[in-house]
Formats: sequence, structure tokens, C-alpha cells
Amino acid sequence: MEENWAERISAFSHSPSRFLSGTTAEAFLAELLRELRDDRASYCVKVLLLSPLCEHPTLLCPSDSVGEETALELMSVLDQCPPKFVQFRCHLLLALTAVLVCTSCVSLRSRAFQDFLDLLLQMAQDTGDLQGDGALRSLRATACDCLRELEACSPGLLSQRLELLGGLRQRETSRLHQAYAGLHALVLRNAVYRLTQDAGAGAEHLKALLGGHTSVAWEAELDSGLMSDKDPSAILSYLVLGPMGTVPTLQTGPDCKELRSVLSSLLEESYLLTPLCQAALLHRLTEVVAMVPGVPPAVFRAQLLRLLGTSEVCLLHSTLLLKCAFTDSLFSAEDEAFILQRLVVLSQHPLLSAPEKLFYTDCLLHFPENRPIGCGGDGDESLPVLLTPRLASALAPTVFNDSATGLARFNLLSLVYLEEAEEGEGEESRGLAYLYQHLAALLRVVANGGNRQVVVTFFRAAFLFLSYFCHVERYCRSLTEELCELYLRHTHLAPHVINLADQVQDKLAESDWAVGFLRALQGVIAEAPPARLTLRDLSWHLKTLARVAEEGEIPQHSTVRFLSSVTAPSPSSPCAGGDWRLGNGLLGVCRRLLVHPSLDSLLIPLADVLQHLTRRYGDTDIRDHARLYYTLLTTLSREKLAGVLARGSAEGGRQVKKRSLSCIMAESEGLASALTIHQTEKSIFRLIEARSEPQGETQTDEVSDLNLNETFPAEANAALEEYRAQFDVPGFASEVTLNYQLTHLDGDSRFDQLFSIRLHFSLTDDHYEELGDVSVPRLLRGRPSPEVRLRLKPRRPYPTTLHASAVFTTQDGLSWFTVLPHVHVAFRQAFAPLPAPPGWGLGGRLGLFQGLWDEMSAEEQDDCATSLLCCQLKEVALTALVEKHFLPYLMSDLTDEEEFKVLFFLPPRSHVLLKIRPGDPVHFSVATDNWQLLRHLNSYLLTITSSQEHTGL
Amino acid sequence: MSVRALWIISHEKGENVSIRFTRRFATVEHRAKSLAGSSYVAVPEDYSVLHLLLTEMGLSDSDKYYVALRDDCLHRQRSPALELRVDGPGKGILWPVLAISHGPLTLACLPIVDAPAEPRPPLASLLSVSQGLTLLAGLQTFLLGSGGKPDNEGLASRLAILPSVLLQVCPLGTPLDVPLLGAPATSTVPTPAGSQKQPAWKTGLHRGRAVVNVALKETVRSMQYGDRSRQDLWDVYGTVTCKCEVEGMLPNVTVTLTLPPNGSPLQDILVHPCVTSLDSCILTASSVDNCDGSAFSGPYKFPFSPPLEPFRLCSYTSQVPVPPILGSYQLREEENQLRVSVTLKLHESVKNSFEYCEAHLPFFNRDQMGVVDVKVSSGQMDVSKEKNLLVWGLGQKFPKSREVTMEGKISFSGPTPGPTDPICTELTAYIKLYFKVPDMTLSGCCVDQHSVQVYSSAKPRIITSRELQSKEYFIWNSTGTAPVSSGPMML
Repeated sequence: MEENWAERISAFSHSPSRFLSGTTAEAFLAELLRELRDDRASYCVKVLLLSPLCEHPTLLCPSDSVGEETALELMSVLDQCPPKFVQFRCHLLLALTAVLVCTSCVSLRSRAFQDFLDLLLQMAQDTGDLQGDGALRSLRATACDCLRELEACSPGLLSQRLELLGGLRQRETSRLHQAYAGLHALVLRNAVYRLTQDAGAGAEHLKALLGGHTSVAWEAELDSGLMSDKDPSAILSYLVLGPMGTVPTLQTGPDCKELRSVLSSLLEESYLLTPLCQAALLHRLTEVVAMVPGVPPAVFRAQLLRLLGTSEVCLLHSTLLLKCAFTDSLFSAEDEAFILQRLVVLSQHPLLSAPEKLFYTDCLLHFPENRPIGCGGDGDESLPVLLTPRLASALAPTVFNDSATGLARFNLLSLVYLEEAEEGEGEESRGLAYLYQHLAALLRVVANGGNRQVVVTFFRAAFLFLSYFCHVERYCRSLTEELCELYLRHTHLAPHVINLADQVQDKLAESDWAVGFLRALQGVIAEAPPARLTLRDLSWHLKTLARVAEEGEIPQHSTVRFLSSVTAPSPSSPCAGGDWRLGNGLLGVCRRLLVHPSLDSLLIPLADVLQHLTRRYGDTDIRDHARLYYTLLTTLSREKLAGVLARGSAEGGRQVKKRSLSCIMAESEGLASALTIHQTEKSIFRLIEARSEPQGETQTDEVSDLNLNETFPAEANAALEEYRAQFDVPGFASEVTLNYQLTHLDGDSRFDQLFSIRLHFSLTDDHYEELGDVSVPRLLRGRPSPEVRLRLKPRRPYPTTLHASAVFTTQDGLSWFTVLPHVHVAFRQAFAPLPAPPGWGLGGRLGLFQGLWDEMSAEEQDDCATSLLCCQLKEVALTALVEKHFLPYLMSDLTDEEEFKVLFFLPPRSHVLLKIRPGDPVHFSVATDNWQLLRHLNSYLLTITSSQEHTGL
Repeated sequence: MSVRALWIISHEKGENVSIRFTRRFATVEHRAKSLAGSSYVAVPEDYSVLHLLLTEMGLSDSDKYYVALRDDCLHRQRSPALELRVDGPGKGILWPVLAISHGPLTLACLPIVDAPAEPRPPLASLLSVSQGLTLLAGLQTFLLGSGGKPDNEGLASRLAILPSVLLQVCPLGTPLDVPLLGAPATSTVPTPAGSQKQPAWKTGLHRGRAVVNVALKETVRSMQYGDRSRQDLWDVYGTVTCKCEVEGMLPNVTVTLTLPPNGSPLQDILVHPCVTSLDSCILTASSVDNCDGSAFSGPYKFPFSPPLEPFRLCSYTSQVPVPPILGSYQLREEENQLRVSVTLKLHESVKNSFEYCEAHLPFFNRDQMGVVDVKVSSGQMDVSKEKNLLVWGLGQKFPKSREVTMEGKISFSGPTPGPTDPICTELTAYIKLYFKVPDMTLSGCCVDQHSVQVYSSAKPRIITSRELQSKEYFIWNSTGTAPVSSGPMML
């Protein structure tokens, strides 16, 4: 079980989301708490169990109430834990702190939190704890740490305990005084900050606070103040933001004896703290002194020499921050020069670690000067005035430096020599010459086969050099030459070379170095003898040439010449193998040439190259693409060609950085997106059924409008015959027309305006004939939905489902394929009005109805069937039902309430006849010539009658 | 002044990566969230942190030659603080991630930014950064053990006790101390109650005989080119390591460094935090400043109250007028062989009594050595097993003339190619010297036994020692191009 817990806890800590996908936070928390209460579990495991609560309290306690409950549980575990398990008890305190802080129990001052705070304060004052065991961290120290963290997360929490904490700190002689000192300093800082926010506060308040004599009224004020912070981050931040920042101040006048004595006592004992705690203490006290102008910064003076000579990075750092806060009120000009020298020394000290040295180098570029020129501030790197080229030369980079160090030094010296060059106008700077030589030395290492890291370092250094000195023609030209030479020797550096050109072009807009460099690359590639090219070299060259071809100002004749020489039929040509990747490389260049502004002058040679590829290249795919390009080139006007091809480069362009096999095709991606059909991720629109059809209405009009000169066979049989004769004409009344509206689904605004929509339907069964495609000219969001008429030709008039898809064009000219939600065709949708011969009036129809009814009721008919359905419907409801559902199919008069006669014609030649007799219950007598329709009819009738019941009653 | 999370990972040049330990500090994260407001970026789960970290350190996808995210030339890492570009729902940049590596072990942490997040504050304004660096360095020393090299078992056992170590040194994300390297060897007793406060960096009190051990070690580095146009470089730095077993809560000890009458002043002095006070003149001399003849040249007094464990009391650098061994190295290509000619000269001020002295002559970008026909005037010549390195053992003494030579020819006709190096191509080659001279310093600096003062009741035993050793001591072939560009630049 123990093993299991270790694994589970580790799984949770590595990926809480994955772990919780197998269980719930609630269940896991419950399990943890149960195990924590279990007496059989060992305390080693219990310590482990606390770690999820310490590290991810918000995941396990998603709400304040769960946090509160969990905290109460943990407190009871703490209560029951024997005192000897100090480690476990310490971890419990940490877990409780984490849970209470991270759920809002602290800010809401919940009950559990109040109890915990009381407990911590009690522990902090309990000096009778494990005196003897020095190795174990005592519970008291952890309690102090928890109090400090609570104060840090909820500033001002302990302001009223300042005097108590000061006393505890002073009385403590064991190593624990460090914990009290940290707590005391933080609470002091927060309390003073609180006073600075109170307009009326002054020396008296400060004195009262330090002496613990806060009046009750003021306590209440403090308490309420805690919650009413406008910006909680203000008090959490470090308050001294350099010489340009403003610090909130507390006006006390010169007399702050009490505060001074607290400060000097803390500072005197700072020597006894570990360097980390000393640094933190100094930092806090710096803030306090900065906030109280009544206390002179000179209180720190006694510590300065000790701090300036220190080998500890955090102590020297806090001294720099001290300088930043108090500038010349604490540090003389000599001090400043000394500190700067120290930083230079430390930035290259052989005994320090690389990260420390880098940190000091960074400090040099953000040096807190006593009198800074301008307010560069804000993260910008700037050189301190005192950092002379001579001083900085100690930090000259060498090829032996690690990458980060080398680059940091290169950057620093570039800044130094840039300034020097600006001051000594016209004079050739030796420093700059050194930097260039260093760059050249790096380049030689790369040329001699330096590893990947050296390569990356070199290109970064080259970019830095260009970004500072792109105006120094001589070196830039020379760099271009050396880079070209390097590239020819190591063509696999193409991605780096291209990246350098890209970035210089992007970031150094004022420089045309990148274009010149690309032009030079084109030159050296074009001059390379094609016979000696390896396949690898060639594909890198093509990559580079493709980039060169993106520059409109670079003439592309030599590129085309190069292409024709490598594609020219020759047994030694690398193209002879018909390599697909290589072919893509070739096409990539061609594609860019197709949109190059100087295309007109390239037309014929480029067409030749493409034709060569079309005819001779050994790969079908490449031949096809080449043919396409050839066709585009020879048939499209320039504008159109640019239109088709340009889109891709604008969209994908150079941003396509991934170099996987599938992305090679990104070369022609733009074209592909213009010419191929994309597929949408989700449905874009759907068909919804339109309101009942107009056909029926005309029918009812006819019916109601008793036609006087109607002619119809008098006999039912004759009527039947005449009616049936119509069906001899092929295709007679074989269709049902369904009306739909095409409407947008919610979603992507790219698809707001759609054009040339072609809907395609496919069947899911064989009850219907195949459907033709339907075209819709446009679908615009916010405009009336276009109507879509589906003409279904049933083989058997059963309900069915249609699968629908569509191809359409968006406003940007891309074509899309999308799948629509399925279209369900209900049974009732297959109903058509009786296709009675024209001219028949009500009489003829009734005759036909009777004839059909009689025929179907006769028993010998094979497929015919009759049926009866009864249901409870009030008269009004029945009339409503008939009006709502049957009106287009009604044979009898609506006013004839004795019996409604309804006839559904279902193409191709099925009929369902209904005689509905009102009463209690209502009788639905059914007759049909297709008994298989009965089950659909039944469910249809049940649906409509039951819905009528609900609405009717 | 706290860290949000801590990671310890191990990897072999980016391969076989595993997370060995992680810790997130929820309350610090809570503060980070309210500090950063809308620009808050949460710490992603360990696996994505791992991936991002390796990419940022240039270690991911080691099989791929160019990966834009990793190798873009614009992206200069303002180390030591890395940026992790978090993708997905919690998109943003996690900064400043501190990372330090030693061999296969990488430690990283994310300090809190206790300043307005926009615009990004300079690293130098965040105390949490130097605190994080100190914590990481302390943990690294602890994990690597006394040997300074990670052995798997030791590492695993130390990782196992890391949770209880962190409870002591960084319970809630605020670093309080660095872990101690094992319990102090001397017997300690618990603190008696008294009026004197116990330093937080002292775990107990020493009881027993008082012994003070002061060891002075100087290291000399050099780059010699044997070329008039190029100045040879060398520098010396010294460290004073103490181990003090002295009774008392806050005993006072003073160590004094002295220089010979015309010795050049000690520069760039850095002291341990247990040093109680410093005279300002001790700190003034600096290696990067104009050397001032009137500068203070000792005696250098360091009053301190020692911790229980051994510690580095101070360090300094010194400018000595000559290198201890001046060498010249000449290679000439002759048909299929190299003609070698070496002279090493021991300066007269250096004691001619070495613990060891060896000259290594590696050869790169060539085949293995075939026939080695070289004569040395003193000492012994060996060819390494791999046949790409000549090792010239000079023994304990130079001959009376204080000069040794090597002459001869080497043919590179071995069956397999030797190692490659991008710097040492063609005739660019070097000799690297390894030597140690006991009981001497180049600067002449020494700690006199009698100058060590201990203010306590019992008379302590005082042991002092000194030694000189070489590090990065190169003599470049003067017929080839040495890889330092130009100018009077430092190493």
C-alpha cells in the first residue's frame, strides 16, 4: 500500500490533470484525508500524502467551503498527532497554510483560519519545545514561517502583533531568532505601508504601532483597511522601483526613535542570519527606510563594507538594490565606481559559476547609477557612464566561452563600442575591430565543423553584430563574403542563413544588408559548377534560392539559369534520379519566380524549365505540378497568376517553419489552397423544413369553390378508371416536393458569406430514387434564408434519412466541402394531395374516394387492409386536428361534421383513406392499398392525436 | 523573494530525460497570481515544463539540425533567466526561469516577480533571482555530494531526503538557507541558554580541542602564444579555506595574509559572510583598474566568527610579473609527418619541487599517431592508448638549468582517424601543462601560523598550508593561428 501511495502521489504531482481524469478531485481528497486519519498508516507515508495539498490545494479544494472543511479536518489530524512526529506536524502546518491561503479562507477570515492563526501564534510563543534536538527543525520555526507566509499573502494581517513579535525576536537566543527576524521585518514593512496609505497617520501612529498601544478604534480601522485594497498587487510588490519610481511615504518628522531602535537592532543582528535571510531582511528594511523619510539611509552604513566585500550573490544583490533605493544619500561617487568595478570583476571571476557571472553581467546593464542620465529604466539595457571601454575590455568574449556567456559579453561590448564609435566620430574603433575578429573566429570554428551549439551561437552573434553595426559598411560587406563562403562549404547551414536574412530584414528595417546578402548568396550558388553538386547541396541551394526569389528587387536571371542547368538532361545531373523532394525544391523556386515582379523577362527560360520538368522529371507528382505551373504561366495573365499564387505566400509564407515531410508540400501550399477544396471542421449550415406547402392551399381553394361546370364520371367505377388511366403516363404524380430553408449554424465568421453552394444528397436506403444536386446561389448571414426544394421520387413512401453535403465558395475565393446535419424525411412528408384529373370537383373526388374505399375494403385484395383507431378527443379538438393536419387532403366538406373523409396519396401509387367519425371515442377508420404503410400511419396518427390532446385539453 | 516552483531533472545531452524531483509552492503561486493580474501565466504541468525547458536550453530534438523555436538567431537567451513560451489554454511567457546544469543534472526554479509585470522589470531589480540562484547552487552542491560528481546511488539517496531538506531550507518557497553537506564531523553540543544569540548558520557548538586549519591555494592560468605580435596572458587567483574547531557561541578568529616586501597587492578580494568587519583599503585594489603603485599591500586582516563546517574565507587575484613556466611550441609539417620542438623554462622564482608536472600534447583532426620519434632532455614520454596524445611526464624536478626540451618527428599513419576539434585544425595546436607545487604561492602571499589569532580560553593548534596549481595552462604552437583574436584581452 505504501509503495502504491508513493507512485500515486508522484503521478498526481507530475500531471494532476491526467491523474484526476481517472478519478475526481473530491474522491482523491476524501481518500487522502481518510488515510491521514488512519492510525495504521506510517507517518512517512502521511508526510507524502500532504504533498498534493501543499502543492495543488486549489485543485483538491475547488471551493472555499471545501477548503474550510479540509482545513478543519487537517487541524483535527494535527490535534491527534503525537508530539514526537515533528516532521509530520511541520508538514501539516504547511499544508494548512497552503489550503487556507489558496482557497479564500484567509481573505474571508473564516473560522478555520482564525483557529489556525491562534494556533500558530500560540506555537510561536511556546518556547518549551524540543530544546535539545538541533538537527530537527522545530515546530516553532515552521509556525513562524507559516505566519510569515500568511502575512505575505495577506499583508497587514499581523500588524497589531508587531510588538509581540519584536519581543519574541529579541528574547530568542537559539537559531530560531532568524525565523522571528524574518517575520518581524515583514510585518513591520506591511504595517508601515498601511500607515502611509492613511492620510492622517504620523509619528504618533507609528510609535503606537511599535509599542503595541494601538487604540481599539484604530485596530478596527486597520482591520477594515485590510479588505478595502484597491489594487492588492501594490502592497505585494517591491516598493522601491528605482530612482524614477515614487515610494509612498509616512511623514513623521525627524523623531522616530522607536523605529530607529527597531531597525538598528535588526541590522545589528543581521550578521547572525544566513546570507539568504540577511538579503531578504535588508530588502525589507530598505523598503521601510524608503517609506519613512524621518529615518536616514545612513542606518545601513555600518553594514556596507561587509556587504560590498561579500562573495555571496544575494547579499551583493541586496546591496545593489539598496543603492538603487538611496543613490547618493548612501553611496558616494567613489562607492559607485568601486561597485561598478566589482561587478566587472565578478562578471568574469574564475571562482564563480556561469549563471552568477551572467547575472552580474546583466546587473552591469541595469546598473543603479546615482545620477542616471535620462530615464531609460523599464527593462532597457543601458550602459553606466562609468563603464569605459578599458574597463569593459575585461569582458571581451572569446571562443572558449560557453554560448550564453559569449553572447552576453558580445552584447555588452557591442554597446560599449557603439557608444565609443559615436563619441569618436570617424575614428576607426579598435574595439569594433576586435568584435569583428571574434565573430570571424567563431565563423572559422563553424567552418571547421563546430557542433550545433557553436553554429547557433555564431548566427546569434552575427545577428547581434548586424543589429548594432549594420551601418559600418566595411564589416558588413566582409561578413557577407565570409558567410557566402561558409555557406558554400556547408550548405546544410541554409536554414540558419535564411533565418539570419529573415530576421535582419524584419528587425533592422533601416538596413538593406539582408537583400545584399541574399543577392550575394544567389551569386555564389549560380557560379557553383553544377556538375559537382551533390543531391544534398542542391536541395539546400534550392531552399536558399527560393528565399532569394522572394525579394522583388533581386533579378532572377541567374536563378533561372541555374535551374535550367540543373534540370538539363545529363546523366550526372542530380535531377536524373527523379527524387520527389528535390523536385519539390525545384518547384518551390519556380513557384516564387511565377510571382516575381520581373516575371516578364523570365517568361521563356522559366517556361523551358517547367516544360523540361513536365516531360522528363522522374516523378509523376512533380511532372503534374510542373505541368500545372506551366499551364498557369502560359495561360493566365500576370495579375491572375499573382492572384492565384500570392495568397498562399501571404498566408503561410515564411511562417511555415516546421520541417516535416508533410510540410515540404507547404512550398506549393498557397496554390493548393487556392485550387483544392478544403474541408470544414464542423457543419456550417443546415436544412430546416419550411412551413406547410402552398400546393395544398390551391387544392382546398378548388374544393371550397364549388365548380359549377365540373365534369366527372357519375359512377364510382368509371371515376376509378379515369383516375387510374392517368398513371399510364410515365412519371405521373411520382414525386413529392419537400420545402426546406438553408440556414446558418452558429459559428465561424469566415463562413458568413457563402456563394455557389451545391448541395448533394445521398440515400440511406432504397425506398427512393437517387436525388439530383441542388444549387443555391448564395447564403448570407443575416439575410432571409434561401429556399431549397427537394423533389423526392419514392419507390416506397416510407420515412427515410438523407445524408447531405455541400461544396461552396467563401468570399476569399477558397472552395470548401462541408457535411450538413442529416435530413429526416417523416412519413407525413411523403403525402401528396390526390392527383385527380383536372376539372374534377368535390363530387368527383368523393366518388373516387368511395370507389377506392370499397375496393380496399373488399377482402380479396392482396395488399389492401383496413384498420380502426379510436381515441378520446373533444369535438373542438378534432376539428382543430383536421384543420391543422388534414386540410389539404380533405375530401368531404369541413363543415360536414358527421364524418370527415381524408385521402392521402403517396407516390408512386399508394393511397391511405381515412373516415373520421366524431364521438366518444373518435373513430378513425382506415383503408389502404398498401398494408405496409399501416405501421407508419399508426404512429403518425398517434403522434398527432396525442399532441392534439395536450393542446386541446 | 520566493520561488514558485522547483524542478530537478536529469538527462544525457537532451536524451533519456527524467524528472527527478519537483516542488510547487502554492502560496507563492497565489501571490504571483495577484501580483501579475491579467498577465499571469500559470505554471504548466511538469511534462510540458520539461519540454519547454529543454528547448530553451537548446537540448531538445538533438537529432534535428535546425529547429526554429530552438535555434532562431533572434532569440538570444538572456541567461541566466530563461523564457518558457507556454502554449495552449494558459498561453504566455513564463519568466524568469533560472536553470543551472552540471553534467546530467539540471536544476531549475521560477522566482516570483514582485514588481509590476508590464513592462518586464530588469532581472537586476528582482531579489528573488539572486535568491533563486543561491538556492539552486546550494541544492546542486548538496545533490552532487562531496565528490562534486553525480553518482547514481548517492544522487538517488540524496533526492530521497530532499523533502525533509526543503522543509528546513525552503519550506514555503522562500529560501532560508542552503542545505548542509552532511552533519559536521566534530562533536557538537546543543545550545545552552545564554544571552549570546546563536548564529543561524551554526548548527551547534564545538566541544574539544581547538584546531584551526588555514589552507592557501593559488591557481595559475595562462595562454602563451610565442608570438611577438601577441601578448602572452596569465593570471593568478588564490583562495583561503578554513576549518575552525573552536569552542564558544561566537568565537573570534583573525587570519592575516601577508605579502613579501615588494609583492603586488592582492586584488578583487571577496570574503565569506562570516567575516565580521573589513577595512576599506583591503577592497580597493582591482584587476580591472589601473594599478596604483601606492596601493595598500597588506597585511590583510580578516576577523571572523567561523561556522562549524569548512568554508572559503576569502579569495583574491594577483598580478605576477612572469608566468611560472614559460614555454615555446613549434610544429612544422614535413611530408607526412610533424616536426615537433618544445622548450619549457621554469622561472627562477618558482620552487623547483613539484608534486607533479606533466605536459600534454593532443593532436586533432589527424589520423592516429604512427611512428613517434621524439627525444626529451628530461622526464619521460608516453603515447596515450588512443594514440592521439603525447604525455610528457616531467617528474618532481626540472634539471638544474631549469629548462627542458623536446625534439622529434611524429608520423600520423595510424589505421583510424583520431578525434576532431573545430578549433585545433591544421597547425593550430597546444600544449596543456598540469602541475602542482606544494608550499609556495606565486604572489608570495602567505598565512603565518603566528598571525592566526583565536580569542578563546584554550590555546588552539594552528595548521597552515599553501600550494600552487595550474588550470587552463596553454602553450600554443607559434607556427599556427592561435584562436584568440587579438588585443590585450583577458582569458
